[in-house]
Amino acid sequence: MISIFIHNFKYALKTLFKNKMLIFWTFAFPIILGTFFNMAFANIEKSEKLKMIDIAIVENENFKNSTVWKQTFKVLSDEENVNRLFNTKYVSKEEAEKLLKNDEITGYVELQKEPIVTVTNSGINETVLKYVIEEIIQSEEIISNIIQIQINEKLQEDPTQIVNIEQIGMQIYENTIEKLQKQEANIQDISSNKLSYTMIEFYTLIAMTCLYGGILGMVAVNQNLANMSHTGKRIGVSPISKGKLILGSSIASYLTQLIGVLLLFIYTIFVLKVDYGNNLMLIILLTLAGCLAGLTMGVSIAACIKANDNLKTGIVISVTMIGCFLSGMMGITMKYMVDKNVPIINKLNPASMITDGFYSLYYYDTLDRFYFNVASLAIFAIIMLGISIISLRRQKYDSI
Amino acid sequence: MIVFKTFLKVLNKCKAPIIMYTVFLLFFGIFNMSTSDNITDFTASKPDILIVNEDEQIGITKNLIEYIEKNSNIKEIKSDKESIADALFYRDINYIIYIPNHFREDFLAGKKPEVKVESTGDYQASLAQMMLERYLKVAQTYSKEIKSEEELVKQINNTLEKQVQIEMTSKLDTDSLNKVAFYYNFANYSILAGCVYVICLILSSFKEEKIQKRTIVSSMNYHKYQKQLLIANSLFAIILWLLYVVISFFLLGKVMFTAHGLIYIANSFIFTLCALTIAFLIGNSMKNKDAVNGIVNVVALGSSFLCGAFVPMEMLPDFVLKIAHILPSYWYIKTNEMLKTIEIFNRRYITANFSKYGNSNWLYDTIYDYF
Repeated sequence: MISIFIHNFKYALKTLFKNKMLIFWTFAFPIILGTFFNMAFANIEKSEKLKMIDIAIVENENFKNSTVWKQTFKVLSDEENVNRLFNTKYVSKEEAEKLLKNDEITGYVELQKEPIVTVTNSGINETVLKYVIEEIIQSEEIISNIIQIQINEKLQEDPTQIVNIEQIGMQIYENTIEKLQKQEANIQDISSNKLSYTMIEFYTLIAMTCLYGGILGMVAVNQNLANMSHTGKRIGVSPISKGKLILGSSIASYLTQLIGVLLLFIYTIFVLKVDYGNNLMLIILLTLAGCLAGLTMGVSIAACIKANDNLKTGIVISVTMIGCFLSGMMGITMKYMVDKNVPIINKLNPASMITDGFYSLYYYDTLDRFYFNVASLAIFAIIMLGISIISLRRQKYDSI
Repeated sequence: MIVFKTFLKVLNKCKAPIIMYTVFLLFFGIFNMSTSDNITDFTASKPDILIVNEDEQIGITKNLIEYIEKNSNIKEIKSDKESIADALFYRDINYIIYIPNHFREDFLAGKKPEVKVESTGDYQASLAQMMLERYLKVAQTYSKEIKSEEELVKQINNTLEKQVQIEMTSKLDTDSLNKVAFYYNFANYSILAGCVYVICLILSSFKEEKIQKRTIVSSMNYHKYQKQLLIANSLFAIILWLLYVVISFFLLGKVMFTAHGLIYIANSFIFTLCALTIAFLIGNSMKNKDAVNGIVNVVALGSSFLCGAFVPMEMLPDFVLKIAHILPSYWYIKTNEMLKTIEIFNRRYITANFSKYGNSNWLYDTIYDYF
């Protein structure tokens, strides 16, 4: 009997690998999609970082006479400054207007009695410009306030100092500027360096491949079903244990599926540089569980639904795509929205279990959430397997 | 008419995918429609900040929190660690500020208590950092001079209230134009996928070996047959385009009745013609009906991803955009993006842009003729 098992296993494997459409969807399509993802998302996180802002300053008398303003913009536009914020042009007003109109600068500053900032529309760069200008105004305010306070103190101590008030004022002015410049806030950044959210896209891709594997399982099982093909009818009348045949076909498709996922892993890790975390054994465990969930889902759909091949494939694909959509394939926020507002949906969704498993392996230090996902996948697979066994056993046809 | 009737019969069978692509468009269209009014005054961007306060909420601590709250969107997140970590990862918040216990006491004692932060590192987070730094610096400078806490808080607030006058030159309704551009950019996928899928499926049904042989031996004029097929397919493409235009009127409202809206519609029409020619090219050069699904996905997803239909163009790497230059989607989406900021149209500008399409359209036509 073992030989029949091996025989069937071998032929199931052969038919799967010769089916070009199947191989395209389970092997090539995820890789192509991954390449697209990589091209589209390669820069997305980099472009969200604050870049240098092009601005202009109207070089009028007021500006030339103000040390604070000149000094500040010199520092902020200094090419050797690591925290360089601005790329500043010093121009006439007409020129500044022209630059703004041609979209070459974010905005320009003109020092009249009060400074005026001119921009084209609201935005993040405009807000930063506004912040910096306000910071200068506020520094001026601080300096004048402090001078006033200190002079008052000194005069209270010794009213005769009123004679050389100007000198004292200058001294305080210089001291305060120096203090202001040296003032540093004690802020410590403790954020994790694993905050690359585009990784989720690639995790959903793995989830999709695992679940698409269900098509393989479905095709392999369909071959053994009397109501699906002529081969199935012949198998049905043969005196062979159907359980063994179906097991053989299922293992063959599981193997095919694993090869597909392995290829995808190799491609994403070595070519696309996707970060799956460092624990190889756990990655393998999650992948095995994910593929099993996909396979059993395919087999149970093949077993339960009495319909033609196309409709069954359609069902597997739609279930997979809806699952991937909910776990963030078409927009990462989707996963978060579902997790936050209706968590039960993603607790039942195999695509989300796989995605979330990889996510917790990548982002979290603890493994609780990871094991919860693996356990959920195992339970999902067992339920699907139970459903398939119940509907497949003792199938009999009087006529077909 | 017989060709046209058959066309309609086959078309009836392809309802499902057309409905699916339309639903995608509708879904993402509505998803992006978070309503906001026409804004022509300057509004500062506000980062999403979460403050975890372990100190008592009085005095300087309270004032710090109030200042941050005033200049940012404070998000309500469940206070367990996992929810906070998730919120930061998925950019629900950009910046977390942990105010330590005894912050107020230490600060008033002249120490510099350490404030821990977590940041996503993007521009919103940089803005939040600037905000926090500014507050702490101002507060530290004053705290050396002013001993009374009440006075200190008052002085800090007075200083931080100093604002700059901002003037805006543009009176364009950028917000609703952004939505229009988003919708029509996404329509790139729906139009392309819809046209390629349906036309390929129909052409391959007509090209099935037995059917083709029957057509050839029939008395039907070959030119007439081809012409009817082409007209029928064009008609389908135009109806699909009309459907999406009508939906856009419902979704986007009055901005579609402006000159900008008209150009968006014209632009999408020209792109529909491109999609039609691409679909014809693929449909005529394809032999296997089963391959339609694969080709649709690769072509439509490929040009949508590479040309910036899903991810904004300015975020794509340069080499991707270079490759995208050969695709009509690139010119279509580029025109959409440009339309957002143009205030006055002149003829030269528009013709210059549309002629580029012409080039890529012509390219596809030539390839098709070759087949």
